[in-house]
Order: sequence, then C-alpha cells, then structure tokens
Amino acid sequence: MAKTGMERLQELKKEIFKCIHCKACKFAYSGEPDREGIGEYAGKQGTVLYEGMVDACPAGIEYGWEAFWNAGKIWIARSILTGDLEFTEEVRDVIMPCITCGQCSAQCDNKIPTVDIIESLRAACIESGVPMIEKHELVDRLVKELNNPYGGKAEERFKWAKDAGLGKYVDNKDAKIAYYVGCTASYRQIEVAITTAKLFELLGMNFTIIGDEVCCGSPFFRIGAVDTAQELMNKNLEAFKNVKMLYFSCAGCYRTFTIDYPKWMPEGEELPFKTQHAFELVARLIQQEKIKFKPNKELKGKVVTYHDPCHTGRHFAVDMEQDMIRESKNLLIDSRKIKEKIEEWYEVPRIILRKLAEDVGIVFKEMYRIKLDSMCCGAGGGVRAGYPEFSLRTASLRCDEANAVGADILTTECPFCWRNLSDANDMYNHGMKVMGILQMITEYNLLDMAEKPKEDDFLTPSIRDIE
Amino acid sequence: MSYKLPDDKDLEAMVGIVGKEYATNNKAITASYLAKSVMGLESQIPDIVVRPKYVEEIRKILIYCSAEKIAVSPVSAGLSGGFACPTIKPAGVLLDLSRMNRIIEIDTENRYAVVEPGVTIGELWAYMHKNTPDWAPPIPDGAPPASTVMGDAIDRGFSLYTSSVGPQGDNFMCGEIVFPNGDIVRTGSWALPFAKPFYKYGLGPDIWSTIMGSQGALGVVTKVAVKIFPHPPYKTVIVIGMSNPYDMQDLTLEIGKQEFGIAHNTVMVQGGNYPLVMARWPKDKVPHDYEFFKELGISKWWMNWECWAQTQEELDYVTNRINKMAEDFKKNRAKDPDAVKPQELHPKQIASRLKKPNKIAIPYSFWEAGFLFITWYTPWNECAHFAENYCATMEKYGFPPVMWIASIERCRQAICMPIICFDSTKQSDYEKVQDMNRETTEYNLKQGWLNYRPDPYIHAPLTYSQAGMYWKYLRMVKKMFDPNMIMHPGRLALP
Repeated sequence: MAKTGMERLQELKKEIFKCIHCKACKFAYSGEPDREGIGEYAGKQGTVLYEGMVDACPAGIEYGWEAFWNAGKIWIARSILTGDLEFTEEVRDVIMPCITCGQCSAQCDNKIPTVDIIESLRAACIESGVPMIEKHELVDRLVKELNNPYGGKAEERFKWAKDAGLGKYVDNKDAKIAYYVGCTASYRQIEVAITTAKLFELLGMNFTIIGDEVCCGSPFFRIGAVDTAQELMNKNLEAFKNVKMLYFSCAGCYRTFTIDYPKWMPEGEELPFKTQHAFELVARLIQQEKIKFKPNKELKGKVVTYHDPCHTGRHFAVDMEQDMIRESKNLLIDSRKIKEKIEEWYEVPRIILRKLAEDVGIVFKEMYRIKLDSMCCGAGGGVRAGYPEFSLRTASLRCDEANAVGADILTTECPFCWRNLSDANDMYNHGMKVMGILQMITEYNLLDMAEKPKEDDFLTPSIRDIE
Repeated sequence: MSYKLPDDKDLEAMVGIVGKEYATNNKAITASYLAKSVMGLESQIPDIVVRPKYVEEIRKILIYCSAEKIAVSPVSAGLSGGFACPTIKPAGVLLDLSRMNRIIEIDTENRYAVVEPGVTIGELWAYMHKNTPDWAPPIPDGAPPASTVMGDAIDRGFSLYTSSVGPQGDNFMCGEIVFPNGDIVRTGSWALPFAKPFYKYGLGPDIWSTIMGSQGALGVVTKVAVKIFPHPPYKTVIVIGMSNPYDMQDLTLEIGKQEFGIAHNTVMVQGGNYPLVMARWPKDKVPHDYEFFKELGISKWWMNWECWAQTQEELDYVTNRINKMAEDFKKNRAKDPDAVKPQELHPKQIASRLKKPNKIAIPYSFWEAGFLFITWYTPWNECAHFAENYCATMEKYGFPPVMWIASIERCRQAICMPIICFDSTKQSDYEKVQDMNRETTEYNLKQGWLNYRPDPYIHAPLTYSQAGMYWKYLRMVKKMFDPNMIMHPGRLALP
C-alpha cells in the first residue's frame, strides 16, 4: 500500500523537529563567510558579491518573508504536525514557490532532509482538499490524459527518433539496456534525446527506447500530486521491468526513478533495474581511456562553465549521505567517507569537462557556487510551470553567475535546466550559448574512440551503487 | 495586563506605515516565525508581522501600538537575541528587523563599527575581511553566521576575543533606541548631535545599561556602535586535556590571571567535556563509552587557548608560557597530574578552530531532535562546581552531560553552557527539560550564580523572587520607558 503525504510527513516528524531555526540554510557556503571568490558582479538581475556566504534560496530571495526561506517552511511543517496551523490556500501559496533545489539541505548541519519534508508537506496539503494552483492543475490534467505534462500526443513521443534515423531503437526487443528519454527531451529539447541516442549508437550500445514509456512523475512528486505520480510510476515500472540497466539524459527523471520510486513503492519492493545518467558512462569510458576527444577549432579557447543540476547533484549527494547515515554504526568515523563519496560524485561531469579542456582546448572555468553549494536554475519543484516569471528570474541569476566568469558556453546535464537557462539567456540577453555536455560532444563531432566499449562497460553500475 | 488582539484595521495601519509588501497577518507567514530551541522553548505565532526598514517607520509603529495597547516584539534577524527571542503570549505584532541590514560605518582609527539590527555576523565578518582585513568585529564564536551582531551584543553574550576584552555587552559604545512613545534616544557620546560613538557613557547616568539584557522589553534598538579589535596574522590554538573540571578550572585561572601579559593574548578560552564531541552525532550512531574518545586522543575534559599575537615571536612566547604553566600545574597542583597533557592538533584542526564565524553550535539536534542552551554566569573559580553539579543533574534526567565553558574577561567570570540534547517531538522530554531547568535554577540561585538570558517562566520569576528590590526598580524603569507595557510583554516577567 502506497503512503500518503501526511503519513510521509509524520514519518519525517523527528527530522522536522531537529530544526533550530538557525537560518544557515539561507546561504550557499553558510559556514564560510571569508571564502575567496570572484568579487562583485553587476548582472541582469542586480549586483551580487560572489564571495563568502551568498543568499541562495531562490524563493527566499524572490519573496523575502521568512516563510519562503527554508527554515520558515520547516516551522510551518512543524505547526501543521502540532495542530497550530491548518492547511489552507495561504499555506499552499507559501510552500509551492519552493524550487526544491535542496540548497538548504546541503547547508544543514543537523542533516534535515528538507526537500523530502517540503514535498511531503505539499502532498499532505493537496490531500487535505486544498486545490492545486491553476497551472499545476493544468499539467496534472494533461498528464492524466496524455501521460506527459506538455500536452504532446502519445504517438509523437518518439517522433524525434524516427526523424533522426534512430527508429530501430524504439522497442528494440533484444536489448537489456534502455534509454529513458523523458518528456522534456521527447517533446521540447529533442536535441538532448537525439544527441544522447546518437552517442549511445556511436559507442556501440545495443539499447532500447520503450514505447510504453510515460512521464516519470517528477513534477507531480514535487508539487504534491502524489496519486498522479504514483500512477505514472507504476506504469513505468511495468514498462521497464525487463531491463537490467536504465540510462537517463534528464537529471529530474534520473532522480525520480532512483530516489523517489523506491521511497513511494510499497515497502519491501526494490527497483528491478539499475540506473545511471549517460554522463556517468562517458566519464567512466574517459577514465578507462576508451574514449577521448578530437580537437575543434570552433571550440578552442571558448570559456565553458558547468551548472550542476540540483537533481543529479545535490539531490543525489544528500540521498547518498542520508543512506550512509542510516547504515553507519559510527558516524563520527564514517563522516569523512561520506564527504569523499559526495566529492567523487560531483567530479563525474567534471572528468568530461577537464578532458574536453585537455583534448579540445576549451577553457573550463567554474562558477563561484558549485557542487553542494551550486545555485539552482529555477526550473524545478513545479516552479517553472507554476511561477514562470520567478523561475526565469532565478535562471537569469544563474546566468549572471556564468557571465561573471566570462562564460561563452554554459553547459549542464539536464534538459529542464537547459531549457530554463536557455530561455533566461535569450530573454535577458546574457549572450551565451547554453547546451548539454553530451550535446556538445555529439554536435561538434568530438568523440574519438580509442577502444570500442563492450556490453559489460554499459552494464557497470553507477559509482553511487559502488560501496 | 490585557492587550488588544490586532484586527484588520490594525493591519491596515501597519500597511499604511510600511507598505503592503511588508506587513501581513497571513497565518502561514506568521507561523514561520516560530522557534522553540537553542535559547528558549517558548514561542507563540504572532498575529501580525511587520518588516520595517527605517527608524521613522518603527517610531510610527510603536506610537500606534502603544496607543492601541498592542504587544510588540522586536526580532533582529538571526538566532542570537533574534529568533531565540520570539513572540510569546500574548503575541501581537512581531517586528522583523532583517531589512535594516546596513553596515553604516567602519572606523579603524577610533575602532568601532556602526551597524543596524539586521546585520548578521557572517555579513559583517565578510565585509571586514574584504575591506578592513586587519580588524575583526566582535562576533560570537560558535553562533551561526546568520545570527546578528546586535542580537548577541544586546544579550551581553560573548565574542571571539571575549576572554581578552570582556563580555560582548562591554563592546558596545553607543546605541540608538526608539521608545514606545516615539522618542528616539541616542546613548553614550552619541547623545550629542555631532559626536562620534567614541565613549560608551554619556551625560550623567548611563541609559544604555538599562537596555542591555532587556530582550526587546523596553524599546527597539535601531543602531549600535560596537568596538572592533585588531585581527593579527599570528594565531594558534593550544589544547590541554585533563580528567576533571577542577583541574580545567584551576589551570585556566592561573593563566587568566596573567593580565598585562599572556592573558591578553588568549582571546578565546573555551573548553568542555567529551560529550561535547559525542552529542554532535546521532545518539544511536556514535559510541557513548569514553574509551572510544580516549583512543581518538580526546581527554575527558579540556581547555582551548586561542592565541593571537602581532608577531611570531610574541606568539611563541605566549604558547611557551602556557605550556610551561601547564607543566608546572601538572607537577605541583593538579588533582590528577597524569591526565594533564597537551593535545596535539593537526594544522587542519587548528585552522578549523580558528575559522570564524562557524557552525559548531548547530549540530546538537543531530543527537535526537532539538536542543537547548541553558547558560549561566559564575565566578570563574566556581565553574567546576557548576559543571559537576549540572552534569550530574543532566544524567539524572537522562540527558547526555554536555558542558561547554568559556572564560570571560581573563577568567573574571565563566560562561557555563550545558547543552540539553533531547527529543523535542516528545512532550515528556519537554517536561523533563523544564523540571531539570527548575531544579538546577533553584540550586544555582542558592550558589549566587546568574542566568545568562532568563526565560520568562522559570529563570525570571525564580531570580526576581530573590531580588525583590531590584525587580521593583526594573518595573519602574519599564514603566518609564513603556507606560502601556507593550514591549515584548511577559518576556522578562516585568510583566
């Protein structure tokens, strides 16, 4: 029997009550007020000092009131549990504009799983009978009708594959490896889908795209429409039950399958397949010296920066940390291992970028806020759909940060981040090119194979799954 | 005392003063200002929250609320003196001063900084690190970076050089206060219109001292000038371990007495017992047995001396003197000489301890779910007695005996902070904390020890019951500044 939002909130009661309202969660680098940085930069969204602690909660920055910063929301959750506050539209309107980027969780020294709490709070709010905001209702209706939140027709989900000459991979029956494409890459950022599938093809992977794939449910887990999300989850679990390894090009879908599904599946059940993002495979093949990159005149000397998607970055890091805390018998000793594992995780996309710098001649330059302290792109948590202007202002804030290091190209590994950053880049004239790393590899024909990978290479588990 | 429950008309009045974006009675927003932890367990959802930016706005709010008899509780922005001092019954208007966040002036010749109430210690530290790196603001060691300079100072707390220069309250030079009748009073040398904040005392008796420790119960402080001190480049930390609090107390006092000498170089002198390390981790995921901590090189009790000096030569002199005094103490006066020994620190450990501000005080919720600092002042040479008694009481009530002690003003006073780690999801734990608090308060008052920041239901009434005459005059002061008793009612039992 699946859990309700209120049941999840009750389960998290002890975590909620850990909050001492210290407000460290407002900031990136909350414990490093004298961290060296790149100084003050006047961007499209105002002037930000990229040094020391920097305000980093997008909703808090946008709305200002204590309730919109994380600690305020945790105390709202506590008030709900103690009966001091009831779910109302006022509560909904405060808890919904959170992008659930998890910056707060990364800053919390009491290790409070804030994203989990906020999502459960939203689910409990909707269950209580408070209506969803109008724009969330619309996507909820669309996904119920069409299995995707964009209103795309089911038969057009994999049109991109057929158009790009990749049709043979749709329902490729003898493959043990599948590529879960996701709605954004299927209906909007088809470049992401095409470049990922082409990359798999170039690497010689025998993979399948499952025709019965539906929305992963990510937006619906985020906005509290848990029933919808679980319905989608069940459809996907059925569709992908026979594969061994599932690859993703979308950070949000990857996170949803890997972190959310096990949490919302009936107790005792496990995912029937392993999961990983395509960039993990590329990084691994670079480390094994099976692939390298060709020089490229157009890219040589270009300043490239990388935006860590919250869903592949912080959400996995925090999840790994929570897992390790659960399993640890002596956390004082194990805490160093946790830090090392998280650092190793964040290095994965950077292995590719450093190799691109070495072989292609790009100049890889980090923004001020990176890894656990990375600033969100503004798209997640149902915010792009529900609060588009706020979402784009946040993306523009992130583009400002990329501008501050002189980036020509802003890369990321999530079509949803890509889309929001790209829209903000255009709308606010940031003057950069926004693209995925894998997209860059494929579009510029950079792949140089030293040794053809074998099937085992594709089935090697993610470093997340390696003890 | 009865107060008006603010209604829509009162909200309209607030909106008229600060604008509709900065005043609300939205229940979700007002609930987000709750805080039941760290410095107190009392907190009530305010009826209206107002976020003023200017002194004139505060003046108008106070005049209005005083006329209407609406309770007002000012909150700076952060934790210390801010969020730990939330609205209690009868709620009313909460003034969130976080928008008043200007660092107005840093004067390195006269050595002061002028800040508004919303300036956090992280912000001031970062600003001075960048602009005046040879000077350090008096921020507390261990308070989260989001706590405020003013919140800590107004509570007479401690700073990162408190052992050398005294309690945080002493670092105040001048203040600007808005009283409920709308008067704006500037204290110290600031009382004169064109004076710099160079002298903390003013014209005749000092009004500022009545504001210290008032927890927002007299007026709203809108600006303060605090001393700043040099931030020399030569720094280190010495740690001496021992087996009991008495050896910790006695050795530290010997060093603290070296005034006009090394005691002035030991800026932060703080220590505690091994549960201080243990309780930073979940209860079921860390060994409780001392043997484990012994293997890590952690003594049962220890004291850190953080030393600052202008030259390496001076620093070497200070560290050698401390080590020699510790050796002499071990040979001649220690209760348990074998246990008195220096703890070797890795350079990374030294760097970590020197890092300011930091988050070391935050993770005590990790033990279960919630914690409370119940802080007391004792004469230094009674802090071991305090620690011994309080630790035993904590254990009796089933709490880990976590004790932190720091020297104030070269061991003239001790700030003793038991950290009560408990499960705040359980009402029974709340009751145990309060029972223990009551028991220890009764005992401590008999010893003549003072609570750091009296809570409204245990410390304040028990303390005032033993200081009737002082209470009588405090009430008269309160009546003078706040005739309608609107400022943070109940907080200090004044009422």
